Amino acid sequence: MKKVININFQGQVIAIEETAYELLKQYIESLKRYFSREDGGDEIVNDIENRIAELFGNRLKLGINCITDEDVHSIISSIGRPEDFDTEYVESDYIGGRSASGHSNTAMGADHSEPATGREGSSHTLYRNSNDKVIAGVCSGLAHYFKLDPVWMRILFVILSSALFWVYIILWIILKSKPLETNVARRLYRNPNNRILGGVCSGIAANLKIETWIPRLLFVVPLFVNMIGMVSMPFFPWSRFLDDIDFNWGINMSVVVIYAVLWVIIPRANTVKQKLEMMGEEEYIKSIRETVSDNVASVKSRTDETPGKVAVGSMPPEPPKQRVAKSASNGAVVGSGSGGCLNALGILFKILFFAFAGIFALTMIGIVIAFLVAGTSFVPLKSLFIDHGYENSLMWLSAGLLFAVPLIAVVVWIIRRSVKAKSRPLIGIVAIILWIGGVITASLLGFKVAEKFSVESSTEKVETLAGFNGNKLYVDMAVYPNDYYSFNRGIGSDFDLDDFPYYTINKDSLLFSNIELLIVQSPDSLYRVRTISSSAGKDLKVARKNTESFTYPLQLRDSLLLLPEFFSVPISQGFRQQGMIVEIEVPQGKKIEIDERLDDYDDFETNSSVYRKLRKNRKNKVLDWDYDEEYILENGGLHKTVRFEDSM
Amino acid sequence: MRKGVLEYCILAIIRRNEAYPGDIIDEMKSAGLQLLEGTLYPLLNRLKNAEILTYRWVESTSGPPRKYFILTEKGEEFYQLLEATWIELSSGVEAVVKANYKKADNESNTTEQ
Repeated sequence: MKKVININFQGQVIAIEETAYELLKQYIESLKRYFSREDGGDEIVNDIENRIAELFGNRLKLGINCITDEDVHSIISSIGRPEDFDTEYVESDYIGGRSASGHSNTAMGADHSEPATGREGSSHTLYRNSNDKVIAGVCSGLAHYFKLDPVWMRILFVILSSALFWVYIILWIILKSKPLETNVARRLYRNPNNRILGGVCSGIAANLKIETWIPRLLFVVPLFVNMIGMVSMPFFPWSRFLDDIDFNWGINMSVVVIYAVLWVIIPRANTVKQKLEMMGEEEYIKSIRETVSDNVASVKSRTDETPGKVAVGSMPPEPPKQRVAKSASNGAVVGSGSGGCLNALGILFKILFFAFAGIFALTMIGIVIAFLVAGTSFVPLKSLFIDHGYENSLMWLSAGLLFAVPLIAVVVWIIRRSVKAKSRPLIGIVAIILWIGGVITASLLGFKVAEKFSVESSTEKVETLAGFNGNKLYVDMAVYPNDYYSFNRGIGSDFDLDDFPYYTINKDSLLFSNIELLIVQSPDSLYRVRTISSSAGKDLKVARKNTESFTYPLQLRDSLLLLPEFFSVPISQGFRQQGMIVEIEVPQGKKIEIDERLDDYDDFETNSSVYRKLRKNRKNKVLDWDYDEEYILENGGLHKTVRFEDSM
Repeated sequence: MRKGVLEYCILAIIRRNEAYPGDIIDEMKSAGLQLLEGTLYPLLNRLKNAEILTYRWVESTSGPPRKYFILTEKGEEFYQLLEATWIELSSGVEAVVKANYKKADNESNTTEQ
């Protein structure tokens, strides 16, 4: 009992046994492979298929229900298997016969420029290969000479490009160009049948007989990991877990460049023969068998719905006539070797485009992942810049549009691409519009946030150290009573503590060490501490109000003045570039020493107008000094007391 | 078959009357010359590419449309050339072989004597 399927063969509906169909399919594939070497091989196969269809038609006319294995066998033996063909006629051609006749042969076209004799000799002479070239075919010709895969030769030339550049140029000049046949059985090609981006990985996989995803992974993983690492670097303490880890653009670019170079130097497997060389013959035949059985399976599932033998009488009345038109255009054979340089340029542009698109997409994914990873520590920080309500929702909206839309678009694109769905430009347009919407809301938010820094104001407080009458003031730091290191420092860990303007967010206040310590001369005989608080704000009123709520308690114990480690502001203020200048006024003839610990203050550096104004208005000159040195103020300057003693 | 001879036969058939590959195969077979379709089709294709042959489509009742091949002017020229070569060759071969026969005859005569 055998299953019978209906096939559409050259415009004819043919009932055929499944096994016979498989035989036929394999046979035709073998023909295709055989004739792929020849100009117009497709047409030959097509003609033979026509002939087979006709023979089938004749069989079916005799009243036989369907085509059997035997029918196919007899047809195959009448047409002949590729190995039975008179190879003489395939390898050479009638020109051989004609020139043997000894007459002049001007009448016939000279389209067969590859006489059989040239083939044996050419492997021992160095030529440039015009059949397979990227620039001028030098590498390909060299590879042919040494019986190597041209790709290796090209890789060698690319790696040693500085040394071999002139060699290439000279060989380009002195070597003659000649179309050469490949002389290696197995070669690296790009696989056009299974490709995402040029088919480089797929080709490598086919060459090494490994799964396609392995080389793909090898390319994508470093790029992806590096991308995520780069993006999440500020948010996530990678360096804590891994030593010597570094993410940078160099890695991205080198991956992209390697891929691009491979894309350019590996030729595409266009013909069936090249695909054979790419996969190795057995693999290729296996893959054909697989596709055949896949086809059969799909046909089977369709025929299963209408079981039993299929009626034969369903022949089309007249075959379609459009073949005439087709035959006219058969003469045009696409020149594969022409414009190699231009081709390479086009490919380069394509690579660049995809590289940037890919990097962009990966960056987006990385940012989203980084958000997820570092989100918990990032979110509280948000409140320092962004108010609740309107601004908050604006932020989430723009974050969603900016990051999620491209991410979803890329994922959708990949899915649609992998299921080979028709491209729908509308999806892209909508995604772009949404993304632009995200850009607009983000810049709106940016303006809103920037507005909060638009005005700066300051408050000046002067505290006279009334209870102190000694000759020397020792200034030290009052260490913050709590261990602020255990607090959440907000953003990331890669920042050095001192690089960050504020340290910690405890529940109700922000702590800043953004303080500049100055010493000036007191106008009278009293020590004074002047604190100038500065803050930005939406308007002057807000900024001024901010500065008034700074807390910076001074403690005086005999001759010891303790300055707090931080000044603190209410957390409701948010980060508004708060800073403070602490000026200690020292009277004439009195001494001062400042402890090294106060070096921990981050000097308040801002080019704010407030700061400049304060400096200008101050009558007293700012004096130079060092930590842990005793100074005496004399003649409008600070002098080291130690040096004094030394010189005396 | 030797190079050129097959072309000569095919062109001869087509020259007589336009023919489609099935006809050519049948005629060759009936003349006792074994020819596979797999050999014929590429040959026809190459002759067509060399503008020795051209073809037209003819509807068929028993299958897809058929390609009927016709000799072009260039093909006619080529045919003449092949014919001349063939005559030259065959007469040459015949002369050589005949001489052989005569010699063989002579030898047999002498041994009998």
